[in-house]
Amino acid sequence: MTRGEERFSYIFAPELYERLRWFVRLRWWAAVGLLVTSIFGPALGLPGAWPALGLLGGFVCAYNVFFRVALARREQHPGGLRGLRSCALRQMVMDLVALLVTAHFTGGMLSPVLPFFTIHMALGTIMIATETMHVLATVTALGLLGVYVGESSGWIAFHGIHPDVTECGRACDLHLLAITVAMFGIIYLTDSVTSRFKRRNIELHHAKREMEEQAARLQQALEDIRRVEERKSHYMQISAHQLRSPLGTIKTTLRVLLDGYVDPSSEKGRKFLEGAVERVDELLAIVGDLLELAKVREGLEKAPWARNVNLNQLLADIFDSLEPAADAKNLRLVPDFRGVAVLEYGVPPDLVYAFENLVENAIKYSEQGGEVVVELRVVDGRARVRVMDRGIGIPEEMLDDIFLEFVRAPNAKRHTREGTGLGLSIVKEVIEAHGGRVWAERREGGGTVFVVELPLRGDPRPRSRDRNAGVTREEPAS
Amino acid sequence: MPGKRILLVDDDDVFVEAVRAVLETRYEVDTAPNGTEALRLAQENPPDLVILDVMMDHLSEGFDVARRLRRDERTKDVPIIMLTGVDQVYNVRMEVEEDWVPCEKYLEKPIAPEELLEHVGEVIG
Repeated sequence: MTRGEERFSYIFAPELYERLRWFVRLRWWAAVGLLVTSIFGPALGLPGAWPALGLLGGFVCAYNVFFRVALARREQHPGGLRGLRSCALRQMVMDLVALLVTAHFTGGMLSPVLPFFTIHMALGTIMIATETMHVLATVTALGLLGVYVGESSGWIAFHGIHPDVTECGRACDLHLLAITVAMFGIIYLTDSVTSRFKRRNIELHHAKREMEEQAARLQQALEDIRRVEERKSHYMQISAHQLRSPLGTIKTTLRVLLDGYVDPSSEKGRKFLEGAVERVDELLAIVGDLLELAKVREGLEKAPWARNVNLNQLLADIFDSLEPAADAKNLRLVPDFRGVAVLEYGVPPDLVYAFENLVENAIKYSEQGGEVVVELRVVDGRARVRVMDRGIGIPEEMLDDIFLEFVRAPNAKRHTREGTGLGLSIVKEVIEAHGGRVWAERREGGGTVFVVELPLRGDPRPRSRDRNAGVTREEPAS
Repeated sequence: MPGKRILLVDDDDVFVEAVRAVLETRYEVDTAPNGTEALRLAQENPPDLVILDVMMDHLSEGFDVARRLRRDERTKDVPIIMLTGVDQVYNVRMEVEEDWVPCEKYLEKPIAPEELLEHVGEVIG
């Protein structure tokens, strides 16, 4: 383990915790091994085993209980890697001391337990930082040296198979050297294997996290699609309903004539037929607007985008074309333009449709003899057009809703039956496609103000489109 | 049944005229283009039957009118036929409201003249 792994504590801490529990379980077997060796050791030529190893086994059991309890306490909060590692270090130190004592009582440098030092180095390297293990291995080697020197010089008792440790001098030197090299070697090998595993582990965790994020994004995309589908289907149903209503009237009227309730050739019959034609016109208007709306919504990529669209000119042209309608109601159309607004990009026919629709509405819902003012200002790189009338007004609670498909304010319906309820939806689509906003306000003193804001600079065209295709130099729309 | 009076309420004037032509073969017919006018006429001179369009100025204006007719002393016993061009879009809403909108019949537009007369006959004899 290296210090960099601290960052990935969330990956390694739970794993280390599991290892420590496993370590504790192994230790019970070590304690049993000590007891067994203590009993049978003397018969096998290890005279020092009884009773020393039995007592040592008891001691190992005692500290293992302590570590077991400490781990159980950590169960709820395994804590950081650092805490778990120092716990592992404490266990390792205790085990090495116990092993050293075992080695002493089973023959010192000739003890059959010497290979267990390498096993402990491997276990330690899996759990503790490699640098720490180097220190531990060095201290252990010095410990072994101390035992060897002590035994051979007679400072401490020798419990070996041979009565005199000095008899096998050179072999014991080599044993000490071999065990030291083996400990460092096993640390190196274990480290190189586990560090590769750990890297894999980190990569795997990252891959897993990435996959989870991808899955979440996909889920979100699916949701979005589902919402769009729902909206589409709702829109289809509403459209069908709006078409069905005039159709119902037409059918009823024709049925009444065909079934002979009214004579088709009479004056009344003629009026009925005219009524039916009126409803047919209504149907045609709805179908026309639906097509227009679909065109604006889906056909923006193919729309005739033009450069440098002059809004002043466009509005002036609309004034000309709507003059007759205003005259018929004795209304004055008043232009109030300050500044010149030229859009970098625009779809002239759609803009004409949108502004014409707003001014037409203003005329339609105004009383005889008033005026409709169209104000144009250029503020902060945006064109702001306000279409103001003194008409019937829009109820406060409907100001937002009137831009929805087929929505008309009750007072508007009472005022004029004709009206598909789609015009303002189209206006909104057009203005938003140009990167702008449109909203309605109640006008002080009665009437309505429709406000359109359009950015003069910038390219609002859909991205997927080939930017250079189909753009012509704009001539003012007529 | 001469003498029985029907109040026909619908905002579509062409439809109203067509239905009026059918009903007038057997009944006296008054008409109203919206809920407010319908309530005024019904309370002034309670008819023998009210035929109500559901969707007029707003989505459920017909329902509102029906409820107010039933709440009013003068009109609480007048039978009501709801007429609607509503299809599945508003089904959910309808199912809920049908429970508590006290009407004798619920008919869908368009309706054949003979059929309408039959239904009206069933309600007011």
